[in-house]
Amino acid sequence: MIALGQAMVAVALLALAPLNAQAQHSEATETSVKAAFLFKFAGYVEWTPADFAAEDAPLVIAVAGAEEIAADLARIVPGRIVYGHPVTVRKLREGESARGAHLVFVGRQESARLAAILRAAREHGVLAVTESDKGLELGAAINFVAVEDRVGFEVSLDSAEKSGHRISSRMLTVARRVLPKAS
Amino acid sequence: MLESLRHSLRRKVILLVLAATVAALALTALGLVIYDLRVYEKQWTDDLNTQAEILARASAPALAFDDRRTATTDLTLMKVRPRVLGAALYTRGGELFATYTKPGLEAVAFPPRPQADGYTIEGDQLRIFRRVVEGGETIGTVYLRAYYQPWERVRDYLTILGVVMLASLALAALVSGWLQSAITVPILEVAHTARQVISQQDYSLRARKITDDEIGQLVDSFNAMLAEAGRRAEALREADRRKDEFLATLAHELRNPLAPLRNALEILRVAPSNPALAEKARSMMERQLNQMVRLVDDLLDVSRITTGKLAVRKGVIDLQATLHDAIETARPLVEARRHELVVEMPPEPIAVEGDRTRLAQVFSNLLNNAAKYTEPGGRIALTLAKDAQEAVVSVSDNGIGLDPASLQSIFDMFVQVDRTLERTHAGLGVGLTLARRLVALHDGTLTATSDGRGRGSGFEVRLPLAGAVRSEVDKARHPGGREGSRRILIADDNADFANSLGATLTGRGHDVRVVYDGAEALATAARFNPDFAFLDIGMPRVHGYEVARRLREQPGTAKCVLVAVTGWGQEDDRQRAREAGFDRHLVKPADPADIDSILKSY
Repeated sequence: MIALGQAMVAVALLALAPLNAQAQHSEATETSVKAAFLFKFAGYVEWTPADFAAEDAPLVIAVAGAEEIAADLARIVPGRIVYGHPVTVRKLREGESARGAHLVFVGRQESARLAAILRAAREHGVLAVTESDKGLELGAAINFVAVEDRVGFEVSLDSAEKSGHRISSRMLTVARRVLPKAS
Repeated sequence: MLESLRHSLRRKVILLVLAATVAALALTALGLVIYDLRVYEKQWTDDLNTQAEILARASAPALAFDDRRTATTDLTLMKVRPRVLGAALYTRGGELFATYTKPGLEAVAFPPRPQADGYTIEGDQLRIFRRVVEGGETIGTVYLRAYYQPWERVRDYLTILGVVMLASLALAALVSGWLQSAITVPILEVAHTARQVISQQDYSLRARKITDDEIGQLVDSFNAMLAEAGRRAEALREADRRKDEFLATLAHELRNPLAPLRNALEILRVAPSNPALAEKARSMMERQLNQMVRLVDDLLDVSRITTGKLAVRKGVIDLQATLHDAIETARPLVEARRHELVVEMPPEPIAVEGDRTRLAQVFSNLLNNAAKYTEPGGRIALTLAKDAQEAVVSVSDNGIGLDPASLQSIFDMFVQVDRTLERTHAGLGVGLTLARRLVALHDGTLTATSDGRGRGSGFEVRLPLAGAVRSEVDKARHPGGREGSRRILIADDNADFANSLGATLTGRGHDVRVVYDGAEALATAARFNPDFAFLDIGMPRVHGYEVARRLREQPGTAKCVLVAVTGWGQEDDRQRAREAGFDRHLVKPADPADIDSILKSY
């Protein structure tokens, strides 16, 4: 119940966000929106049974940097189920690998480590999400972008495939930019 | 319109075809409209639900990722559905997220908050809400508003029906035009001919046969009826003409004897004392009177023929005796015209069943005709012969003969062979008609033959032989039989009385049958045709009154003299006997002299 209540708050925030896109709130709402998007991305990735150790193994979202987003995400996920899997959040310490996670978000605070984390993520089949201007070019599958004070995202099908995952075409309809697969 | 309908078969046919077409189409359309109205709501709501579902599915990511632009683009897809007036997406929180309004419409207000799933119909609009569910979670609501106008649909149907009906009516008019040529034209042809026949009284007209179907048969029948009507009209005219001639002849013939009669009366008046002259006048009056009597008798027979009341009283008779009667009747005329009459008859008797008086009338008529239509001093032959089943009597002469054409018509009523010649011979032209009718009543035939005008003519009568009752004729011709012999039936349960009376009468030369009860009396009388019946009243099985009544009802015994012989002699007994049909009443013991007087008096 508590988890559901938190979820509702999160969604309510999500819904209100565009309506209250005021400058003084933009920072706070941006983090919560990104946290909510991160959770929803999990729902639009076509996971396979091979991605999980067991049928009821958790779907793990790793967060490098971006403490506030990690905190928001941690508030959202308890009790939420994606494709039959509970969702958990793991903070990535310095030098720690995203190995074992399904999704890794790299905050803009970690721009120095960005390339290394993305390389490791691709090696271990983890779908990477960034909030960097060059995120997709550096190998992220999804990258947050700002559009007219609102949060949007772009997708690289090539990177997603290289990390061994497929992203639902339905999600692509709302992506700002989609980089096609390398043929 | 109605007035022309009464007179035109063609319009009726067209109207029939058109009415059938209109009725069929109207019924079909009514059924379709009712069915469609029932299906329309379900179909349309199902359809809109599906639209909402597709829209929900398509716009779920836009809702999830808070993308109003994409959401609006998704809603704009409804452009392809012109009946959709507006669409909207609500967030999970119930806020209006994106909207679409059909181009060309003024901006319409959307419900501020979403409602529960389902549809409502308000006026001419259908509204539907449907939740957007993604990953098991409700993330928003789709709202659709669309036209809901069943009556518009009905109007469309009626428009289509109207067009179809007009086309059908045009087609039906073409079809009925064709039908007219196939059906009404042949009938109109008949109607036209019928009008012509009526107005022109021309029965030689014929309707043209166009088809071989039932109408063709109608035309054939109509033409056959026309032919028959023509024949009958002709026959009626001919009969009318002959009747006129007959009346003229009749007046002439009836007036002819009157002048001599008046002359004779005048002679008797002026010369009453001259016996020779008186005798001459008297014999002249007798001849003329006999002539008139014969004319009136002929008239009566004509009347009987035309009313079908000509009847014969049959018994077994000897044809030779009958012919002798006829010869006696015709002899005066034959001798007056100095004809030679040659008679040939077989020695043995030839019996037929018939009426001796009527057959004698037939033969004397033939002999008289032969005498009349042969110049004086001619030769007339009368022969009697028989073959296996028939007696054949033929009368031939060497007189004026007959045209082949008149061999048949001379037997028609009022036809006389030669009217100029006829003027010299009295007659009404009914003799041969009557003769042929009488012979037919004896189941026989009368035919005429002639080699032509001036070459004589022959008439042949053929009558069936009465083989089975031959013995009766023999007995009648037996020497024991004599003039005055009567057929007598005696019925009495007192056997002694009956037998003794029977013996007495037989001894006097009568043909007698004796029976002992009423039923036997009836049975015997039917075969025996008695001239007299002496009946007891108190008889077993059928009493005398009843026997008398039934004998009176039978044609063979209707004229039989019935004599009641009883022990009762009161006046009321006699009265009752008269009512039962008895002619006489005798009280036992009956006096033989009374019986004799009765036999002599009839």
